[in-house]
Formats: sequence, C-alpha cells, structure tokens
Amino acid sequence: MKPNRKMMLTGNKAAAWAARLARVEYVPAFPITPQTEIVETLAGWFADGTMQGKFTNMDSEHSMFMAAGAASASGVRVFTASSSQGILHGLESLHTLCGWRVPLVMVNVSRALATPITLEPDHNDVLITRDSGLIQLHAETCQEVLDLILIGYHMAEDPKVCLPVLVNMDGFYLSFTREPVSIPDPGLVEKFLPKFKAVQPVFQASQPQARASAVFGGETYSWFKIQQDLAVRHAEKVFIEKAWRFSEMFGRYYLPVESFRMEDAEYVFVMSNSFATKGKSAVLKLRDQGIKAGLLKLCMIRPFPEKAIAKALKGCKKIAVIDQNIAPGRGGIIYPEIVSALFPEKTAGQKVLSVIGGLGGKDIREEDFGTIIQHLGNPKPEGPLYLYGEQDLNTFLKFERIAKPEEVARS
Amino acid sequence: MSAITSNYKKIKDLNPHESLSAGTSLCAGCGGLEGLRLALKELGDDVIICNAAGCMTLLSVYPFTPLRGSWLYTTMGGPVPAAQGVRDALDIRIQQGDMPESENLQVMVLAGDGSSNDMGMGPTSSAIHRKLDFIYFCYDNEAYGNTGFQLSAASPFGGATQTAPSTGLHPAGAELPKKDLFEIWRAQNPTYIATVSPREPIDLANKFAKAKLMKGPRLFICLSPCPTGWGFDPKETHLIAKLARDTGIFPLKEFFEGKVMHNKVPRKRVPVERYLERQKRFQHLFIPVRQEETLAQIQSRVDAYWSQYE
Amino acid sequence: MLRIRMHGRGGQGIKTAGQILGSAAFLAGFQAQDFPLYGAERRGAPVTSFTRVSPEPVLERGPIGIPDLLLIADATLLESVRPVPLNGADESTTIFINSSLAPETLQQYYQLPSLPVGLNLIPLCRHYLKKANLYSSALASVGARLMGSIDMGFLLEAVEIELEQQGLAEKQIEHNKELAQKVFESLTSVNLQERERTVIKAGSLALLEPRLAADSAPIILAAGNMALRKTGNWRVDRPEIDYKRCNQCLICYARCPEGAISVQESGSPEIDYEHCKGCMICAEECPGNVIQTVSETEDGS
Repeated sequence: MKPNRKMMLTGNKAAAWAARLARVEYVPAFPITPQTEIVETLAGWFADGTMQGKFTNMDSEHSMFMAAGAASASGVRVFTASSSQGILHGLESLHTLCGWRVPLVMVNVSRALATPITLEPDHNDVLITRDSGLIQLHAETCQEVLDLILIGYHMAEDPKVCLPVLVNMDGFYLSFTREPVSIPDPGLVEKFLPKFKAVQPVFQASQPQARASAVFGGETYSWFKIQQDLAVRHAEKVFIEKAWRFSEMFGRYYLPVESFRMEDAEYVFVMSNSFATKGKSAVLKLRDQGIKAGLLKLCMIRPFPEKAIAKALKGCKKIAVIDQNIAPGRGGIIYPEIVSALFPEKTAGQKVLSVIGGLGGKDIREEDFGTIIQHLGNPKPEGPLYLYGEQDLNTFLKFERIAKPEEVARS
Repeated sequence: MSAITSNYKKIKDLNPHESLSAGTSLCAGCGGLEGLRLALKELGDDVIICNAAGCMTLLSVYPFTPLRGSWLYTTMGGPVPAAQGVRDALDIRIQQGDMPESENLQVMVLAGDGSSNDMGMGPTSSAIHRKLDFIYFCYDNEAYGNTGFQLSAASPFGGATQTAPSTGLHPAGAELPKKDLFEIWRAQNPTYIATVSPREPIDLANKFAKAKLMKGPRLFICLSPCPTGWGFDPKETHLIAKLARDTGIFPLKEFFEGKVMHNKVPRKRVPVERYLERQKRFQHLFIPVRQEETLAQIQSRVDAYWSQYE
Repeated sequence: MLRIRMHGRGGQGIKTAGQILGSAAFLAGFQAQDFPLYGAERRGAPVTSFTRVSPEPVLERGPIGIPDLLLIADATLLESVRPVPLNGADESTTIFINSSLAPETLQQYYQLPSLPVGLNLIPLCRHYLKKANLYSSALASVGARLMGSIDMGFLLEAVEIELEQQGLAEKQIEHNKELAQKVFESLTSVNLQERERTVIKAGSLALLEPRLAADSAPIILAAGNMALRKTGNWRVDRPEIDYKRCNQCLICYARCPEGAISVQESGSPEIDYEHCKGCMICAEECPGNVIQTVSETEDGS
C-alpha cells in the first residue's frame, strides 16, 4: 500500500496505520474481538520489518497494560489496544500506570460488557475507565481514529501531561467498517510528531530512580492525585493547540466538542462516537421537515470539556443526552456530566432529557430520533427514556418463548 | 558454565558494597530483607526491581528509597509483565542505538510467596514461556505477611495463619501442603532456579554470581523466616533458617541445564519438631496436646522428599 | 469530650491500650470511640492510638489533632519526625511519659509545654508480666486514672474483656489486672476538664498548578536516601561488640538484615547505631559470644 493517499480502510486498520505513522516502537498485545485486527496488522508489520522495535504477545490485558506502562517509563513510544472485558481485566493496571505518569496511546474498540456476553458495541467498557486518569478521545469516523491517535501522542507526551491517551471507536460500526481514509505523508507526520523523547527520567543505569513508591499520609497522596487532575485538565489546552497545528498540516480540524447545525437549533441531540453520524442524518431530515434540530458531538470525554459544552448549549431549550451505556440504578453515565456542565449558567426553561439507547449494539433508528423530539416536547420532567420499541420487545418475546416454552415454564 | 562453580568461600569474599541502605520500615530481624541484601550485594546497582504488592513494598516509601538501583512499584499480579515491558524497552533502545549497552539494567522481580504462588503465577508462567530475561526473587515467608499473616498457597501444612487458624474442627491449621514453586517453574525448563537462605550467604552469593551472567528466566526462592508472622524472637531468624535446612524442610538446591543439584545436604536430618516447636504458628501441634498424626505427616513428607535423592 | 492520644511502637500493646481505655469508658457509661493508626504490620515502628470519651455522642472521627491527654509509652519517640508525638499538645494538655526521669528533667529536655506526669512502667511490667515493654494494661490504666472519671473496677473489667478477646491465658490476664491496679494506685487523678469549643474559621488553600511531569510524577531520584531515616530508636536492646575478644570473623556483618554492620578498614565490624533496630541477631549468632545485649530502656537513654 502506498501511503499519502485515500484508501478504503476499516477503523481497526486506520488505528494500525496511525501507530505505524507514529513510529511506535513497542506494542504489547492481547487479542479480543472486535479489536484483534489492529494488533494482527501491527504484528505483521513488525514481523516483516515495516515497523522497528518489538511486538510482544502478552498473557492478558492486565499484563499487557503493565508492560505498556513499564516500557514507556523505560523510554520507548508505546501503543496498545483492547476492548470490553479486556479493559475490565486490565483496569487495575490502567489506574496504576496513570499514577506512574507515563505517556502512551491505546485504542479501545467499544464492546458491551458481560453479563450477558456479547460482541456488539456500547460504551460501558470505555466509561469504566472514566475516573482512572486516562485521557479519552472518541472517534466518529475511521479518519478520526487515525487522526486522533496522532494528536493523542502529542497530548500524551506533553511535558505537563505524561499520561496515557485512550482513543475510542465503536466495535463493528467503525472497527469492521471500511470507508475512505486519508493516510498522511509519513514525512509530514514526522514533522508533526518527532521521534519520541522522554521528558522525564527513564529507567537506565546512569539515572537510578524509584517510581511509584508507597506513600503514607494524605498530604503526599493528595498532592500526586491533584497533580494528575491538573495534568488531565491541562491536556484540553494541548489538544486544541495540537489539533490546530494538525489542521494546518493535514487540513482536518478537531475540537473537544463538535457543533453540527447548532446555529439556531431548538432540539439538540448530545451524542458521541459512530452513532453521531446517524444523529447528524436525522438532524438534516428533521430540518427538512421544519424541525430545527442540531447535534453536539463529544469528541473529548476526559478531560471533560464542560465550558465548551456549556457554551455550545447556552440558550438551547430542549436537549436530549443519548447515552449508549447504562449505570443500573442511575441511568446514563454522560447525562449527569452534561447537566452539571450546564448548571452554572442554566438557561431558563431548559429541558435536559436522559435517553438510553444502543445498548449491546442495538440500533438507534430514525424513528427513535422522532420519539426523542416528541418527548422533548413534553413539559413534564421524565426519564430516562429507554429507546426500546414494541418491535424490539416482540423480537425478544419470540426468543423468550423458545428459551422458556410455556409447558416447561409452568412445571 | 558449571553449576557448581564457587567463587566465594568465606564471608570476607562477599562484595563489600551495600546496594540496599539501612533505614527501611521492614520488621527487625526480617529474613527476607537479609536475603535481598545479600542478593543485591552480588547483583550491584545496575538493577531495576519491579515490585509486587507485599511486605517489600514498604522498602521504598516516598520520599525515601533504600536502593542504589531502580525501583518500580507495580501491583500484586503485575511485576512480571512490568519486567517484560522494561526488558523489551531496554532491548529496543540498545538495538536501535538510542542507548549504550553500558546503560543496561538487570531486570529483577521482587515478590512474596503470595504473589508468586497465587495472583502473579499466570503472568509468570507466560513470561517463562516467552523466555523473558529476568531474575525473579521470591521472598517466601509462607503467608500474606504484609496484611498480618493470612494463608497463601505457600503456607505449610500444619501451620496456623490468620485465615486458617487451628480450631477444634480444624486442628492442623493449614490443611494443604505448600505449593512447590520450584517444581512448577522447573516444568517450564527455565534457565536457572535456586533456593537460597539468608543463613547461607556464601551459597547465596555464589548462586547469584552464577545467575547474573545467564540470560532468560531465573528464579530464586529465598527462605524468609518472619519473626512477626511465624512467632519467634527476631534474634532467632538465622537459627530458624538453620533448622529449616538441618531438618530438610527447606532443601538448598539448584536447577541448571536440566539437572537438579542439592547444596548443603544435611547428613543426618534433625527431626522436624526441632524446627516447628520454636515457632508460634506451629504451637498448636504441641499444646495443649501433641498432634501426633500431623507431626508424623510433616516428618514423613520431608522424608519422602529426600528419599528421592538418597 | 476528652481526647486521649497514645504513642508507642508496634509490639508494645499500644493499640490494645487504646481499646482497653475505650472499653473502660464504655463500661463506665460514657460514649467512647477508639482507633489505632499504624503503617503496615511492623514491629518496632511507631504506633498511635486514639480514644475519645464523652457523655454525649462522639461526633468526631480519625486522628486526634489536639489531645487533652497525651500518653507516651516510649520516650525515644519524642525525637521521631513522623509522627511527632507532641503535635497539637499545648499547656492545657496533660502529658504522661513512661520514664525513670524526673518530670522537670523531661520537660526541659524535650521542651514540653507543661510539666509532665512521669512514672517508670518498665520495672512494673517486668515485675507483673515478666516483660519490660508490654504496655497495654499499664498505659490504659494511666489514662483511666489521670482522666479521673473512670473507676478502677471498670478498668479491670475492660482489661479482662480485651485481653480475653486476644486469646490470653487466664493467668496472664490476672497478672495484667494486678499490673493495672498497681499503676492506677501509683498515680493521682488530674481530673481532666473538657476544652472550650473552638470557633470554625476559614483556612488558606495552596495554589496548585500543573507542573512538568518530571516534577509531578511520583519519582525519587535520591538513590539510597533511606539511610536518612534513623531506625535506631526502634531498639529495646543494644548490641555491643567487645572488640578485645572479637576475632573479626564477620558473621555479624553477614547476618545483619539491615546492613547496619559495616567492616572497618582494620577488618573489625562496626555497628551503625543510628540504624540498628536491635533485632539482636548479631549477638545471637556471634560464635565467640563477644556481642553483649545491653538494655536501651533502663539506663535512662
């Protein structure tokens, strides 16, 4: 494949290309559907000499993240990828290496969490890392996957940040979906993202260090934790700067939040990841029907760009936050974050509706957006709104009759 | 390289350098600390220790470190994969010419018997399989010591721990024999395995001197008498270690090039009771009544072990 | 509410002392709360315990910042950097120090805010328990007596309850009760009074900004700096080498877990008393028995 041209790529291949363009030196890996294609592609490139460094097959995600962090602390540029149960299994390691303050980029290919086990996407996996100290960027398209990984390395390696960056894409809807992706010229990428140079001491004989020692006393623990918070917050500024530089070189521009037809919108869908494309399509159709709809896409989840969100939603009266995740007993995970972002400058008469849909890969259909518009018109407070139609129920009941035939169930 | 090379004959031969400074918070009389101190005397300062949660996590407490080398706290199950990451990164940097060979480090895992036999074992087995070039130092105090002495898979049969106490229903305390970490490793044919005791500094130093020149997975199981958990006066740490050897409970041995060799074989084994009776964790085997059957079982297991080699 | 803070070392029964005092107060009809604070399980390392006693419900938790009664079981701790036993103590704090020294001497030497109450618990513990430094019952008794609001009967009952829970034999519990009684009778109450309530005022917050990761990652670059921490005050006994009889076999040097015995140019071993924790392995292992065991606690330190 010749670089510097557009080609049909899956989200997984786009991620692998980004790691290759970033001249990643180390990839510890462990397979999990729907991520596996990423590490398979990279394994091939390391094996045939296209990429320099080392690809190590690890024994679990817990081990994989540990190796990734330790290698970064030892001075090489690291990439890795996981999904779903893998993120859960590696969660202890993720918290640990955020505390180590080591830069690297990882991709999560979103897949719903067991139980019940499934292969299809929702965002409970990536949002479980919400409070770990990872920086999170969420992609809508395969192009965004590639671009955000390159920008992500800049954020991760910033002297005031030094943290892992997670780039998220939806399983199937991006991971296995091919669409045209522009592969930037490697020479230009090298100018944008120079060879990795650690901005803190790394493990080697001439500079002994003890990293991540135990602490006693809340003063020390709190200081390091607050510094982590400040570093993640600082990453928003780094993102804006580096995304601007990226746009100057490659012509594509990103912001922490993307406003789509928000200029005069009366109804706003707040969404993230690949389903935002469906939301945008619905916005255009609704506008043709005379309904002033708009969409706010969250590209950055951590740090949480609350000021940008508040600014974009200022004056909007009817907002639906569509969570493709569920926190049983609470509802959507992003909903309260949006509400709290709006609170300091609340718009009078504003309705913010919590919507839960797309769990375990369940489609969000056009009619669902119509339903949301209808409920936004309801002056009474309500929610969460489960996007689960009669049609869906009928499908399930058919299965249930097979699983529990009446004659068995009764006995 | 012969498995029986002995560079060191007497204490004066030991490397005078101390890679581990005094001042740590570890218990007075800690056998594991003594084993580590002797090991680092031989390995020197160009070492990075990847540490699993355990007693030794208290070695480095911010803002202090006793090590002249490097340290990375990982997690209870994560020291070996962390060692993998460091080893791989150093290899990459050397191979790419980003770092001179003189900056290289010996990568070492420091983990207790809990991490080694329980939570960390899966990743360790995988790293041995990958032929990771590292030294694994297991300080074996036969329980989860740092949390106050709870049962681990390395707790011996007949010993009491906080989570396997001796009661009327379960008089023996721990009812299962200790996992055989040496044999579990050996099944994967690593480069080197040795058991060491803080009581045998010359034997220990010779084993580390040999192992540090090798590549690949190298395991040291260090008998770590624990005054706090085993229940004896701290001054008796070495006495307990000596009895562990003389009773045959803790065989000093090596595995190298496919063969197991015993070092310092006790000519005439002292009855195990001499070792057990000095420790509070075995007190219930003697008081209020002697648990003859349990004592006999402990003795017969030791005898059965040695009968393979006699 | 009365706030009692006790300082001692792992293995001295400080946690139990706080619990005995808590139980005694509870039995006497007070609302009580007790709570120990220690690192991991470390013999010899500093241990603090806290007991709160009040006729009203106790609306406080955690460490006691400003103690009404400070009980110091191990005077060597007064030189420790963390925890600082005198933290929060002022002229209205009653301070007890387990020491053979006169109160005036202690006040002057340790620059105490008030004249302390002194009593040497070591000979008492040795007499009743055959162990010089097991202070659980003795220290609880000091607390109960100085407070003045807990009768001895409740104290002795509490000793029994707590030590029984720890699995001590009947005989040992009896000895502890005798010890507690003896200590109780050796002191007079100071009738502790409740402090005046403090007024809540705003504090000042630090200005925290993101720093370079090189400065904000949890890294220690001062390799080997642990030696700055002195563990010499963990010692109960001190090893002393009789150099006249020492044949420089260096067994002591090889056996010391702390690396606190070095070899001098002359070939003689030398003990680093700033760090020696007093495990006494060297004395036990010395083939010529030329290392003596000298008590640290009774010679006045």
